[in-house]
Amino acid sequence: MSESVLKLHDVCKRYGDFTAVDNISLSIPKGSVYGFLGPNGAGKTTTIRMILDIIRPDTGQIEVLGSRSAMSVRHRIGYLPEEKGLYKKMKVWAIIAYFGTLQGLSRKQARNKAFELLERYGLSDFANSAIESLSKGMGQKVQVLASIVHEPELVILDEPFSGLDPVNQEVLEQLIRDLSDNGQTVIFSTHVMQHAERLCERLLLITKGRKVFDGTVADAHAIIPRRIVLETCESVESLETIEGVLSINRLPPDLTGRPAGSCQWELYVREQADPQDILQHCFSNGVTLSRFDFTQASLHDVFMHLVGTEAREHKFR
Amino acid sequence: MMSLCTWSARRPGSTSSANIMTMRVTLLIANREYLENVKTKGFWLGVLLVPLIFFGIFYLSSRLATATPTRYFVLVDQSEQYASAVDAAIQREHQRHVMQDFMAYLQENRQQTAGTTLPQTSNNRLNELIDDFGNDEVSALDGWVEGGGLDMALQMARPYLREDAPPFEEPRPQFIQAEAPPGIDASASPDQIVEDMRPYLADERRLNVDGERVPLFALILIPENVNEDIVRPDSLQTLMTDDNAPRGVQYWTANLTDTRLSNAIQTSLNDAIRQQEYASRGINIQQVRAVQRTRMPVSQLDPNKAEGEEAVSFADTFRQWAPMGFVYLIFISLMQSVQYLLSNTIEEKSNRIIEVLLASVTPSELMMGKLLGIGATGITTIIAWIVSFFVFLQVYQSVETAMIVEILDVLLSSELLPYFVFYYLCCYALYAGIFLAIGSLCNTLKEAQSLIMPLMLVLVVPVLTMSFVAQDPNGTMARIMSWIPLFTPFTMMNRAAAQPPMVDIVGTTIVLLICIAAVLWLSGRIFRQGILRTGQPPRIVELWRMIRRRGQQ
Repeated sequence: MSESVLKLHDVCKRYGDFTAVDNISLSIPKGSVYGFLGPNGAGKTTTIRMILDIIRPDTGQIEVLGSRSAMSVRHRIGYLPEEKGLYKKMKVWAIIAYFGTLQGLSRKQARNKAFELLERYGLSDFANSAIESLSKGMGQKVQVLASIVHEPELVILDEPFSGLDPVNQEVLEQLIRDLSDNGQTVIFSTHVMQHAERLCERLLLITKGRKVFDGTVADAHAIIPRRIVLETCESVESLETIEGVLSINRLPPDLTGRPAGSCQWELYVREQADPQDILQHCFSNGVTLSRFDFTQASLHDVFMHLVGTEAREHKFR
Repeated sequence: MMSLCTWSARRPGSTSSANIMTMRVTLLIANREYLENVKTKGFWLGVLLVPLIFFGIFYLSSRLATATPTRYFVLVDQSEQYASAVDAAIQREHQRHVMQDFMAYLQENRQQTAGTTLPQTSNNRLNELIDDFGNDEVSALDGWVEGGGLDMALQMARPYLREDAPPFEEPRPQFIQAEAPPGIDASASPDQIVEDMRPYLADERRLNVDGERVPLFALILIPENVNEDIVRPDSLQTLMTDDNAPRGVQYWTANLTDTRLSNAIQTSLNDAIRQQEYASRGINIQQVRAVQRTRMPVSQLDPNKAEGEEAVSFADTFRQWAPMGFVYLIFISLMQSVQYLLSNTIEEKSNRIIEVLLASVTPSELMMGKLLGIGATGITTIIAWIVSFFVFLQVYQSVETAMIVEILDVLLSSELLPYFVFYYLCCYALYAGIFLAIGSLCNTLKEAQSLIMPLMLVLVVPVLTMSFVAQDPNGTMARIMSWIPLFTPFTMMNRAAAQPPMVDIVGTTIVLLICIAAVLWLSGRIFRQGILRTGQPPRIVELWRMIRRRGQQ
């Protein structure tokens, strides 16, 4: 692994009796796209605020771009907060340029860069509009541009996809890929797994302030064993002898339009197991299959598997 | 320690590049605040409205004085003794008006040779008249009437007028006696007459004067046996009667604000009665007149001025009152700044802009930037007011503005200006810090309103006590208030022209500066934490915790 741009070591944050972030440690390699996943109220935003030194951890250490405080390297960081907002009366290009100057660009640089970004991400028609005349999603795009105008080494986007239509979600994904291609490290939080699945190299999954997973996307998939669903009238117990099969369960009978006597079975297999072996076994043993479903567990399943129950509890808390 | 890093990194002197960065960011924020404020309609409204209102009032009051409509009154004199006295009163009131207008005309059109005073004339009577006019209007009027009135004055003044002076226009009479309307029986009982005249007094019916329908301004009713009601020092029994029936001369009017006619008639009637008294007691009236016009001049002198220049001029008197104007200016400008401080901070909070900002700037940079930007807005407003003042004076020159020019000379040349600049900045720093902290705790202006209420009440105190302090600038109340930091800028500004003791100036300044430092420090602490708060404004206990919490947030 290359050098880390961000390190958290045993970071805790409590508000009264409520523990928002509980002992989180992580390390993010330079140039990666890193996803913060977790249900609502998991502590994603609190963690991000602590990384940015907007709030301070109760215990633990944070090292950002080699510094103990994000404030001293703030010009190398870009940040899009969860709650988006901009000065309503300002013009689109002016607000992007303003944040650029706050981050150390000269007025001229900031202005040029603002127009360049607006052009590249399809907003040049709105450059001279006031923020208040834009739609919410459009304003959000402007704010994303404002957070990266100074070409930061580390870009932290808190829920960048929420409130965007599918087309603009696509644009934003492209923007994140552009940043990554440019060698910039991107951290973004989301609870929409598809974005994470498409974009991230590494993931952090937290729930109730605790880290439940930290690793590559492939690692995440491996957490849930692969699942095969069979439908047949015959017995399938013999499949258990096959190398790599972990368990076989009979699914509850499904009454809708199934041939009489047919049953559905659910097989969990190891990551490296070959579904072909199972199919082969069925043929050679004369098991007639009316269905053979092999599905890769999605990140969504992983997410539900890891935090599902807790998240629901949390919701009714 | 983790928690110390940020603030130590920002502490002045840690590295010079960090300081330059802090300053740059602070100025950027100030610049944006300033430009955004200056772009608003409200700002320009404030800049234009204050001079407009000021000059509007000025213009109206100078025009209204001459624009009062002619008033018609009806006199019913059943005693048949006082009609001439009432007539004299009307004449005298008119002559007073003519004399005032003439004096204004004289000032406007005299030859410009000797500054603000008229050229020395060989004509002693004109000098005497001018002198009287400035000191004692009553004797001036006596002199005016006895000397022959306007004709005489015009003749005397002619050699001293500018060559291009326009002819003097005599003002028209303001009070004219009208005939009682037909159907009123002048010999009926007073109650009956009043009853008949009521529709006219209520403006339900109008008088007919030379074919024109005019409203009745007043009814003066002198009953037949009015002399029985004369009050003498030895006839107290009339004061003891407890029935509410009107006594003496009855003056009926629906207009209670214009008292010129009733005052003139009262003076004139009493003059007439007193003349009768003098005669009945065998006193020589000419001697009484002479005694009445005898007077001792009282010169106002100022011990703080150089020998030979102690005489108190108009400018000196004004200089004593000028601080009040400055106090008002501080107050109005502060009120404007407070609005900006609150609304801009709350906008950033409620729109959640604050979080993006805080990723780029420190809370103290943000706070300082706001203080500077909005301070600059306030200063711009004041400068704009002063400029519009000068523009007005250039455009509109007259006797009245000549006075204002004199006032401005006093203001700009006086030692008051440095006081004003100093106390304005102190006042701003002190209150802006407090209001900014309040703004950082609130999500809506409504929440802020309830929090700033007590502070507004405090702010009203120096404005309410302003005239008391001006009258007794080094009195106990003024001195006590000077030592209360929240009042210091206002009260010391108020006292500035009265040479307050050095201990007050230096002492209160030290206390004030310490207080400002403390307020800004505390506000900074509250601001840092308040700015990210959501939900209800904190209670006092929570506020105390916010202030005490060290480093961590």
